[in-house]
Amino acid sequence: MSTTATWQSRRPPDLTTCLVWSGALAFALAMLIALGLWIAQASPAISEYGQTLVTGQQWFYRHQLFGAAGMIYGSIVVSLLAFLLATPLAFGTAIYLSEYLPAPARPWAKTAVEFLAAIPSVVYGLLGVILLRNWMADFLSPFDPLSGDMLATAAVLLAVMILPTVTTFAEDSLRTVPAAQRLAARALALNKSQTIRRIVLPQAWPGMVGAALLGIGRALGETIAVFLVIGRLDNQFPDHLFNPSLLIEPGQTLTSKRGGPETHIPMGAPLHWGAILSLGLILLIVSALFVITGILLRRLQKTRS
Amino acid sequence: MRNPFKHLMHTATALSAASVFTLIIAVAYLIISRGNHAITWEFLTAESSEAGASGGIRWQILGTLILIVTSAIVAIPFATALALLHSFFLKPRSLSRRTLGFTLQLFNAVPSIIFGILGLIIFTRLLDWGKSWLAGGILLGIMIIPTIAIMLAHRIAALPRAQIESATGLGLRRGQIIRSVIMPQSVAALLSGTLLGLARAAGETAPILFVATIFSGATMPAGIKDQPVLALPYHIFVLAQDSFQDSARANLWGSALVLVAIVTLLSALAIPLRHKLHNAADHA
Repeated sequence: MSTTATWQSRRPPDLTTCLVWSGALAFALAMLIALGLWIAQASPAISEYGQTLVTGQQWFYRHQLFGAAGMIYGSIVVSLLAFLLATPLAFGTAIYLSEYLPAPARPWAKTAVEFLAAIPSVVYGLLGVILLRNWMADFLSPFDPLSGDMLATAAVLLAVMILPTVTTFAEDSLRTVPAAQRLAARALALNKSQTIRRIVLPQAWPGMVGAALLGIGRALGETIAVFLVIGRLDNQFPDHLFNPSLLIEPGQTLTSKRGGPETHIPMGAPLHWGAILSLGLILLIVSALFVITGILLRRLQKTRS
Repeated sequence: MRNPFKHLMHTATALSAASVFTLIIAVAYLIISRGNHAITWEFLTAESSEAGASGGIRWQILGTLILIVTSAIVAIPFATALALLHSFFLKPRSLSRRTLGFTLQLFNAVPSIIFGILGLIIFTRLLDWGKSWLAGGILLGIMIIPTIAIMLAHRIAALPRAQIESATGLGLRRGQIIRSVIMPQSVAALLSGTLLGLARAAGETAPILFVATIFSGATMPAGIKDQPVLALPYHIFVLAQDSFQDSARANLWGSALVLVAIVTLLSALAIPLRHKLHNAADHA
């Protein structure tokens, strides 16, 4: 294309070219306008409350108190716990699929993993409400939780939900390491395990970390399943950050808050509505940090190999 | 035992894979074993009654179909334009192409609840609509645009450069090249991307929660504004929160099985197309 662009540009653009550009630009413009409207409607709350929207530990909308610290805590703790539970399993599975499983079986195995990814989050939520909630309450009964609605249940459910995402992305990264390098390593008398540890993993590592970060990004944004099992109790913030006792209590995340009735109530109250929209902005920023780093790491690894 | 890692790596990874596949089988078994009692022809075709405790899920299935067909109609033109822009109009390895690709990937990861709130901002506050199937279809369509665009863009970028160069050499204009060289070879990618996007759209609850669906009382929409639909994900979402009757439970699991079946069918239809694409790319 680069060789032909010069003489083509001397002709006036044809209809298809115009359609492609206008379609793409219209979409970009619409999304920018949407983001602008979002920020504009959030701004009354942002200018009124400033950083207490993020750092405030109390959210009582009847008293015009809008502090999201409890929800931010809930989102981060639940997502990190899901990450800790899912990533070792996902990496192990990815290594097995990519390095040990015979090549003809690989597409079937990947299809099975993708089935887990395709199940709608409301169905995971249903499994959580009817089964996992009770299992978790029994499993953690030594610690005497009030019910199965707790941060830990949401974390386990999220771990299952991000497992296929992390597995397939990590497996992709492992497959981008050229097969010739594995053969060369074997020819140098490294055994399979040494080949994986010394040749494959060091090269695939950035992409695999990227896969895990995309998993965290997905966990942060998941709404419906978390909503159904987390108990939705506001203002749960620990007295010190590493106190695990809140894990077996109900809580609230940035997403579960907005799945609830409070998204409908404040349509006429600019401050409350602005605060709800600010939660969305916080979520967008936090999840974008993980997703952008994840995408960049995966690209870095792909261009290297 | 000179090297303790020799078998450890194999065993540990095999164990993780075994547990993941046990999990997959367990999830599939739970959904099928609990749902299949409810599935009868009557359940699929009757209206629901007694707040979901009896009757069927006819309008929920139909509402979900209305939503995803609308979303496909909304998404395909924009996704096609974005994919052509990415892989045909912008130069390979140029900054603009990489930025567009990156943006599409980023957009693909936007949490679905964001689209639900966006619907409130645009359709409820700005346009003053009531709950409307079209609002839901548009939101789901916007959500799946990057899924379709990324798949199509990959396919177009993988087409042999020589074909496009020969077409240019023959004096074809860009529009003619798109219509007679690029798109005929990329329709399969467009279709499989759309199917995967629809599989996601069919199962999403968060984008349609606020602006498109109600729990009961809607049938075939007769207009646009103030014409909601019923939808399977929302039906399950509501029943999961407040159904404690056994018969409602059975219907709830039945609805979940139908939804999973729809989603799996849409994704499964995309698989042969994807394999065909892989083969085509290998032989090119």
